[in-house]
Amino acid sequence: MTMSRFTVPVLIVGAVVLPLATGNTYLHHLLVLWMLFSLLALSLNIIIGYIGELSFGHAAFFGIGAYTTAILGMHFGLPGIFGLFVAAAMAGLFGLVIGYASLRIEGPQFAILTLGFGSIIYTTTNYWVDVTRGPMGISNIAPLGVGGLFEFTTAIEYYYLALFLVAGFGYCCHALMQSRTGRSFIAVRENASLAASLGINVFRTKLLAFVVATAVAGVAGAIFAPYLTVVTPEVMSLHYMVAIIIMVIVGGRGTIAGPILGALIYVGILELLRATGPLRMVIFAGLMTLSVIYLPGGLISILKRKIHIGGGVTDQPPKPEAKQ
Amino acid sequence: MTSLSVNTLTKKFGGLTAVSDVDFEIGPGEILGIIGPNGAGKTTLFNMLAGSMEPTSGTVYFRGENITGLRADEVARRGVARTFQITSLFPSLSALDNVRSATYRTKRTGWIASMFRTAAYRAEEDEVNRDAMDALDFCELAHHAHYNAQELSYGEQRRLEIAIALASKPALLLLDEPAAGMNPEEGQRLVGMIRNIRDRGTSVLLVEHHMRVVMGVCDRVVVLDHGVKIAEGAPTEVANDPEVIRVYLGREAVSA
Repeated sequence: MTMSRFTVPVLIVGAVVLPLATGNTYLHHLLVLWMLFSLLALSLNIIIGYIGELSFGHAAFFGIGAYTTAILGMHFGLPGIFGLFVAAAMAGLFGLVIGYASLRIEGPQFAILTLGFGSIIYTTTNYWVDVTRGPMGISNIAPLGVGGLFEFTTAIEYYYLALFLVAGFGYCCHALMQSRTGRSFIAVRENASLAASLGINVFRTKLLAFVVATAVAGVAGAIFAPYLTVVTPEVMSLHYMVAIIIMVIVGGRGTIAGPILGALIYVGILELLRATGPLRMVIFAGLMTLSVIYLPGGLISILKRKIHIGGGVTDQPPKPEAKQ
Repeated sequence: MTSLSVNTLTKKFGGLTAVSDVDFEIGPGEILGIIGPNGAGKTTLFNMLAGSMEPTSGTVYFRGENITGLRADEVARRGVARTFQITSLFPSLSALDNVRSATYRTKRTGWIASMFRTAAYRAEEDEVNRDAMDALDFCELAHHAHYNAQELSYGEQRRLEIAIALASKPALLLLDEPAAGMNPEEGQRLVGMIRNIRDRGTSVLLVEHHMRVVMGVCDRVVVLDHGVKIAEGAPTEVANDPEVIRVYLGREAVSA
């Protein structure tokens, strides 16, 4: 397979047409989940794939986004598209504080810190009943609206909104990897002390990546809550923390298609294995184990291998010779 | 104006003084060598200059600006590039991407500009590619531009490190034992490269064990022993200094 310039447009058109191929609202629901998890996985990919740190706390930012729209709607009657921005700001702000506190530490210690922060946010959400209504969660969340002109109600509408954001953020990631900023991310991931010797402020670079990733996770959550009309602390539970990491790693970290593929596999396999009950998470975790052992670059590397043998986990920027 | 000026620089680790009151200067376009036996404090001195270790006392001025105690990235942003004693690259990136990353210091456009493909972005990306190819060319690695750094031979990797440092267009280049592990032929090639770097107007500080490299290329040599500067001067002067011969050169033929 070679990536032609038509591959991405064809995939996008395919994704646009996809829900029209079936009238089955249950399949539409799965498509929405796929897109929302794609957005979430793409955001975590900034941390895992680009700056090379592992975060166990990402589901917490997804939850912060979800609760932000839910609480805004409940107390201030202020849902709608505007809520997405507030959710992004809120999650990004938490990301800034947590990142500032923990990003000077790297590797396994950083991963453990994020697990700690994630658990604090999860537990707080569970017990701060006055604000979050505790384990019961918040229900009857109003649908997303655009200033009274339009309301997102059906699954197809949410699918298109999420697809638009995935395509947009995917493009931003693509642009990132072709920019000075993106090169500094990869430099920090590959060799932090060499990166510093080139004038790159390692801490600030990581913090930027972390804040962007957490803000986008907040947006995904801010759509997730009004789509399901209910949010409970379970969106921040260990289940989701691990699931997002698996999506990124099984799909292929450091790529744009990888996390989207990972989200598809997560949603798809969980549905296919629904009959097996809780065992499905075991099977899914087993898949991750196999993927890490046999496909360290993720499933996407099977496709990539045919293009470029030995290609690393980065998106290879276009080779300058090709232009001349 | 002097490029680098080091004044009474001292580093203590507890009761041990690794570097004691060391002074020296590097002029523009000068190649200064720092030699000394193992444990003389060369690496400690080097790390203090590069910003990866804070001095206990003393000052470092670069082009008239006090850079004492700045972080590594702050020192680098002012135009001081360095290499590492142990080969340090971006291993899974291509040689070209290694040097492209190194153009960070001299470029300005970022993520947002690249999203909108602004004219400034496109112009600067062309510059990035040109600077990167220049640096590879200079280190005779252009033909390996698309190989991953980890696939290169040892000698090529060491040259790639220098290409990375040069791609940041430094005014001063700090080389930490660049000839370590090189065979004589590669060492000679390195000497040629260092001269060419100086001819491009970059000052060079060279910490080195290989006498042949130091004597062959340096304008001036500073000799350290137990953290103290015991001699300074032209290579031939230093090589004939009885004190230097006693502590260091006596164990190794000067003419080697």
